[in-house]
Amino acid sequence: MTNCATGIDSRKGTAVRADRKINLIKRGRRLPDEIGVGAALVALIAFVSLIQPRFLGIDNLLNLVANNTIIAILAMGIVFLLATGEIDLSFGYILNITAVVAGLLMIAGLPIAVAVIIALVLGAALGAFNGFLTVLFRLPLIIITLGTASMYAGLSLVINRSGSVVPPKEVTNSEYFQFMGGLSEFPISPLILVLVVTFIILSFVFYRSRFGYRVTALGSNPEGARLAGIPVARVRIQVTALMGLLAGLCGVLFLSFRGAVDPTTGSGYLLPVIAAAIIGGTPLTGGTGSLVGAILGAMVIAVIDTGIVFLGIDAVWSTFVTGAVIIAAVGIDQLVKAQRRKSRN
Amino acid sequence: MRRSKSKGLKGAFVGTLAAASLVALAACGGSSSTSESTEAEAATSAETAPTGEETAAAEDPITIGFVTHVVGNPFIEQIIDAAEQAATDLGVEIQVTGPAGADADAQLKAAQSLIASGVDGIAISVPSESMVQGLNQIIAGGTPIVTFNLLQAGVNGPYVGEKSVESGRILGKSILDGLGGTGAKGQAILGNCFPGFPVLENRAKGVQESLAAAPGIEVLGPFDVKVDAAENYAKWEGLLSANPDAVALIGLCAPDIASLGKLKKTNPDAPFIAGGYDLTAENLAALESGDAQVSIGQTPFMQGYAPVYMLVDAIRNGIDIASPAFLNAGTEIVTQSSVQEPFDLPPLTFTELLEISASPEMSREYYQPLVEGVIPNWQSELKPIGDESS
Repeated sequence: MTNCATGIDSRKGTAVRADRKINLIKRGRRLPDEIGVGAALVALIAFVSLIQPRFLGIDNLLNLVANNTIIAILAMGIVFLLATGEIDLSFGYILNITAVVAGLLMIAGLPIAVAVIIALVLGAALGAFNGFLTVLFRLPLIIITLGTASMYAGLSLVINRSGSVVPPKEVTNSEYFQFMGGLSEFPISPLILVLVVTFIILSFVFYRSRFGYRVTALGSNPEGARLAGIPVARVRIQVTALMGLLAGLCGVLFLSFRGAVDPTTGSGYLLPVIAAAIIGGTPLTGGTGSLVGAILGAMVIAVIDTGIVFLGIDAVWSTFVTGAVIIAAVGIDQLVKAQRRKSRN
Repeated sequence: MRRSKSKGLKGAFVGTLAAASLVALAACGGSSSTSESTEAEAATSAETAPTGEETAAAEDPITIGFVTHVVGNPFIEQIIDAAEQAATDLGVEIQVTGPAGADADAQLKAAQSLIASGVDGIAISVPSESMVQGLNQIIAGGTPIVTFNLLQAGVNGPYVGEKSVESGRILGKSILDGLGGTGAKGQAILGNCFPGFPVLENRAKGVQESLAAAPGIEVLGPFDVKVDAAENYAKWEGLLSANPDAVALIGLCAPDIASLGKLKKTNPDAPFIAGGYDLTAENLAALESGDAQVSIGQTPFMQGYAPVYMLVDAIRNGIDIASPAFLNAGTEIVTQSSVQEPFDLPPLTFTELLEISASPEMSREYYQPLVEGVIPNWQSELKPIGDESS
């Protein structure tokens, strides 16, 4: 029997809800899953601060969070995708193209709010296009986005004529740009506020909404989800549209924060964003994910990057350490899973 | 949505690994990025340092952050070597950092982290317009910035680099001379490793201006030939396959000459001559073997040494440098048979140039006239920023 409102077989739906309740009760009895990465973050901060006490300054820590807001938001989007068992390689270029379009619309004289809305819609549309192709060709998203990443990058180069897009002074001097660029008297960077609001909304969507249930069900067992009546194709498109929307949001944030967008903007986010989600405890195997973990993972990478500068270590090692942590995270994840399977048997 | 307690352990392990990595790196790499201004080094450097700098070590300790748009690139390494020599000469600390690949956002974050760690001034190459606002905020906060190699004219600080349009003109003219002058005919292919970088766009403009003097030359491009060495070669190979009768292949970035030299080796019958930028060991080898005709140098010593000198001078003497200005680093023109250095530097043979390029110490010795002349007089040498692209 299928529940028309949820699209899930009512018996299976009841079972899923019961399972989640049990999990929630179990969670209440023990420390949260993110305690590990949280402790890791605290340990890293403590280590760097011990050698360079200046690192612990509140201004430095707030700047660190603000400067890595985009990575944290994108990492939360990747959690949704990983929960469905997919990875998107194109989000950096969606970020780029949405920022470019928003900037050009502002240059053309459109009101900032209209340009922002168009950029967000464009981001969602490009993300949905990824999902549509995935469903159409029945291919993993990673393969589709190998192609669309290049398409979006190329399209952006065509639109921006291989140059930077810089909104005019009358736009960048507006209250919006002054506020978002951290040039107002506001005590903390507005990017941190955006991160908090985005986290609250996405938490509701992931943990409390029908869509969130469907996403994790799809990642846990795609065939089971289909048999349970979940509209698999629609959910795939919705989740990629959400990733596109978040990339569009980050594109707008980038433009607002930096006051310009370059042809290369966005290309450097792929590794740290996926690493942040994985370090935060979201497995590659789908079916689960942690938004708090993604933010903590982003901050772990941020502290590693910044800590390396504070400790006077050559920046080349930053890339090495980030890579080593990803390998360790994925490797340990697999070992832990193997151990659990062994225990069960 | 099952989660296990062991995931918490996983996170702790990852954190431990990261912390352990940092400990290990702090132990083994900490000293590699800073110029250790020990008393012994200060004493050694005093022999070559400009007059008046002997007392530098006795003054307040100064730390300069030096941020490049890429690390591990041979040309950038030449700049870094010179910057570290300047720090040693002046008795200051220098911290070199930068992203592994061109990533403006990561580069700006590195600069902001340096500020948070307490550096007194920053020298930085600026590949992207999106860095300008962040850098100007740093300057407004009281930390002086000197930019080098890659220009964004909006940064409120002096820039040390080549005259980019003019160097393109020189390259274009050298190529045209190689083709027999204004009567030359055929297709010339232009490659840009990073479309959108203002300095590279300016070089392309200069090359096109010079080639326009030959009505029989048809310029194709600029094509995106990528900055990664392997990708760069593949792109040039594709361009040659598509245009086998091209008479000139002209690059605008450091990897091009090496790629074009290799391409000439594997296609000895192809009629093209090759030209490009920078005097890395690979590029000089291509010139030496005759597989490439001309390479334009941008005096990396000047681009590394001068920004550090200017910052230290400004900090010690309270000189305000918070406005755009241009210090010409000079242009070097190198062929197999001749080496033309700027600023009336002593003449060099090709072999001597090879030795200097491979040795930071010999490079330091050769450029001593700059350390005693143009660089200490940097204030009088500064020009309006518009001169860079004139």
